Amino acid sequence: MSQPRPQAAHGRPTNQTGQTGHGDPAGHASVTMYLQIAVILGIITALEFGSIYIRQLTPILVPLLLVMSAAKFSLVVLFFMHLRYDSRVLSVIFTGSLLIATVVVLALVTLPGDFLLFSR
Amino acid sequence: MATRGAAFQHAVPTAAGAHAPAATGVWSWITTVDHKRIGILYGISAFVFFLIGGIEALIIRLQLATPGAHVVSAETFNALFTMHGTTMVFLAVMPFNAAFMNYMLPLMIGARDVAFPRLNALSFWIFLIGGLFVNASFLVGTPPDGGWFGYTSLTLRQFSPGPAVDFWVISLQVLGASSVIAAVNFIVTILNMRPPGMTLMRMPVFVWMSLVVQFLIVLAFPAVTVGLIFLTFDRFFGTRFYDVLAGGDLHLWQHLFWIFGHPEVYILVLPALGIVSEVLPVFARKPLFGAPVVIYSGVLIGFFGFGVWSHHMFAVGMGPVADAAFSVGTMLIAIPTGVKIFNWLATLWGGTLRPTVALHFAVGLIALFTLGGLSGIMHASPPIDLQQTDTYFVVAHFHYVLIGGALFGLFSGAYYWWPKITGRFLSEGLGRLHFWLLFVAFNLTFFPQHYLGAIGMPRRIYTYQTGMGWDGWNMVSTIGAFGIGLAVFVFLVNAARSLRGPRTAPNDPWDARTLEWRTSSPPPPYDFETIPPVYGRDTFWREKYGDRRGRKPVPLPPAPDPHGTHLPAPSTWPIVMGLGIGLGAVGALTSLALLIVGALILVLGAFSFALEHHRNPMHEHQVGSIGLDHRKLGIWTFLASECMFFGSLIATYMAYRGKSVVGPYPHEILNLPLTTVSTFDLLMSSLLMVLALDAITRGDLAKTRLWLAGTALFGLIFLGFQVYEFASFVHEGLTLQQNLFGSTFFVLTGFHGGHVTIGVAWLLTLWIMALRGRLDRRDAVKVEIAGLYWHFVDIVWIVIFTLIYLVP
Repeated sequence: MSQPRPQAAHGRPTNQTGQTGHGDPAGHASVTMYLQIAVILGIITALEFGSIYIRQLTPILVPLLLVMSAAKFSLVVLFFMHLRYDSRVLSVIFTGSLLIATVVVLALVTLPGDFLLFSR
Repeated sequence: MATRGAAFQHAVPTAAGAHAPAATGVWSWITTVDHKRIGILYGISAFVFFLIGGIEALIIRLQLATPGAHVVSAETFNALFTMHGTTMVFLAVMPFNAAFMNYMLPLMIGARDVAFPRLNALSFWIFLIGGLFVNASFLVGTPPDGGWFGYTSLTLRQFSPGPAVDFWVISLQVLGASSVIAAVNFIVTILNMRPPGMTLMRMPVFVWMSLVVQFLIVLAFPAVTVGLIFLTFDRFFGTRFYDVLAGGDLHLWQHLFWIFGHPEVYILVLPALGIVSEVLPVFARKPLFGAPVVIYSGVLIGFFGFGVWSHHMFAVGMGPVADAAFSVGTMLIAIPTGVKIFNWLATLWGGTLRPTVALHFAVGLIALFTLGGLSGIMHASPPIDLQQTDTYFVVAHFHYVLIGGALFGLFSGAYYWWPKITGRFLSEGLGRLHFWLLFVAFNLTFFPQHYLGAIGMPRRIYTYQTGMGWDGWNMVSTIGAFGIGLAVFVFLVNAARSLRGPRTAPNDPWDARTLEWRTSSPPPPYDFETIPPVYGRDTFWREKYGDRRGRKPVPLPPAPDPHGTHLPAPSTWPIVMGLGIGLGAVGALTSLALLIVGALILVLGAFSFALEHHRNPMHEHQVGSIGLDHRKLGIWTFLASECMFFGSLIATYMAYRGKSVVGPYPHEILNLPLTTVSTFDLLMSSLLMVLALDAITRGDLAKTRLWLAGTALFGLIFLGFQVYEFASFVHEGLTLQQNLFGSTFFVLTGFHGGHVTIGVAWLLTLWIMALRGRLDRRDAVKVEIAGLYWHFVDIVWIVIFTLIYLVP
């Protein structure tokens, strides 16, 4: 008589080790992709450094730097930390907390000073 | 049963309802990792601290009973109201909540324990040591006296020169660590240890409110921790975070404190609201009206709780836009709160009420919390708030919220769950006396304080002159306070009488609805003989009586139980680590040598703790109900907390940008080429880390060793860059104390460097274990969680590199 397949609380079937596939390290990116990500990270870092010295970029320098920083941040989180392949629960916990932290940080930066969001 | 050194106890259930023999003796309690015992330890400790805080309150009220009284000196009065607030918030109500969560959460979701039993014990011992440490200040004659909110500049060394505030600052950081560890544990427990069928929306409301509270703790405590770190550095090392002459802003402390402080109100209250949501349906014999809406309301209260902190600061002059934003946010919270109250009333409406003491307290909460909420809405309006700030009106408001909203709920829970915890009943007669005494005395104490505040009596005054119109109501308030003391004494008598009596409570004395009543009273060490089946919301009720039409569910077989009835063995390391923290805290105030000894004990204890069950087969498989390993879910939750920690540090750096009144300034001193190289080094260490994980997942141990060593080496190189950078900055005149830039830069990058150091130690430990053949494919998850921590340190540096070094 066959054993019933174990189920998680959410009802999705699990494998023999109790994992649901998406949390399995085997489902992560390949070594080639890790190397590609590392190369991209290195290039963006070089671009960040270089952009400081290009006078023509001055008007858009801050947003440009923030975009490049966000790109590096996202690549590490999505691929090296495997959030792209992992359970959505982890994404919700991390991105939700990151969002709250970001909003609080923005408020904290703007509230005490004479900034545009909450000027005295 | 409890054999020290054994990996696990094997607790074999006997006949239904029979108790397996449990370990006895003091040592078994010191080394316990059983969630029920830890819950009892929390409960007893909290009650002792509650009595201490209560005595402090009575002395305060004696002093204020008559004008011009000299019961205590003004200095002692300051210490009393500081310690009363600190004790009641951190050492009484929070651990009371933790007591119920520890004892009941696993039982209510059908689990055998929490996800990390030893971490649970660690949380308790850290809490106890933090509580004892702050109260030890009385023994050396220097209790904290700067208010429970510790506003700067009053708490700076210049204005509070002795060790009083040091006791407070250090103990709050210790207590915060305890709370965050416990929160991570409960989040993993609730999300990952539910049996099949226990979907999120089928969880009892108390479990839901506890989950919301844990997220609030994880996200709120780091902000005040950062504020406390700044205060510690200002007091001990002469930094300039709160130095106005150096360009600092005193509002920074208020923001960091209240970013924590307002969610803290919900951290204190939401569990009590969860208890009421359990008690009302049982004693009304009706399902909770609109249970999903009650749950959503709790989630919304928690969420909004993060956007309203500045309503505590209307009086500082933030400007009309900020005032309006926080005013609207505060008023919005009234909506989900009101929804809860109406749902509770609808639950009672038409129910078959059994007027037990637990129900009395629950209904009392509804009445008093509503009053506290109504005065809260008044504070949401900035012009009205300006009139009420720092008056007794505010004292009345928050006591209606925290006694009416939290304590009444906790007493309701105490009467409700007492039979489950002790196997005995509390006297209903004494309980009614307790309730009515407390209800009348509470209103006698605090309702007049609304009026006192409205006619201008300020908070925190030591005494007052006669003829202000305050005399009579202050006397009434003091009489009421002693009535509260009498009510608590009646509860003590009731509890003592009950504990001396025989165990007569059956498994399900209240004909209740949730799973904790499905096991014996008190439960056996293994909680349930088999993991209970779940049929829906109020699953135990459904099992007994079926659905609303009386149709009973088809009996389900016991749920899969991969661990059987094995229970984790006791551990000495949690208390050893706690003692290390305690010694370190004492050393911080007395001697560097003692501080170092404490730190060494903590580090050695942590290593022993981590490696205690390394090759224990029962610890290898920790995949829970959402398909994730407990440890992985735990580290991600911890990293969520770290987002807030580093966010607060970075925000302070940004807020203080350009505010330094003396140099060196950032553009004069930052070495961009050098930091670009160190950034590249740290990014590449992340590559080596994922290669290590890939290798161990494939079982390639040689490459695992290689990449682990490489990651650690790259980490060490990064630290080398940082040491060089710090040394060169000091050489060029930038120190911690030099200016705001030096203070914010060194503390932010220093804490990041500290994280890198911990990461390197972690990686080297794994590498040494790999070299000694103690790491293989089965340990992939251990490498994975080390990697997640490492990558997080990496992404924090990505942000620091951009905001500090690159943005001009």
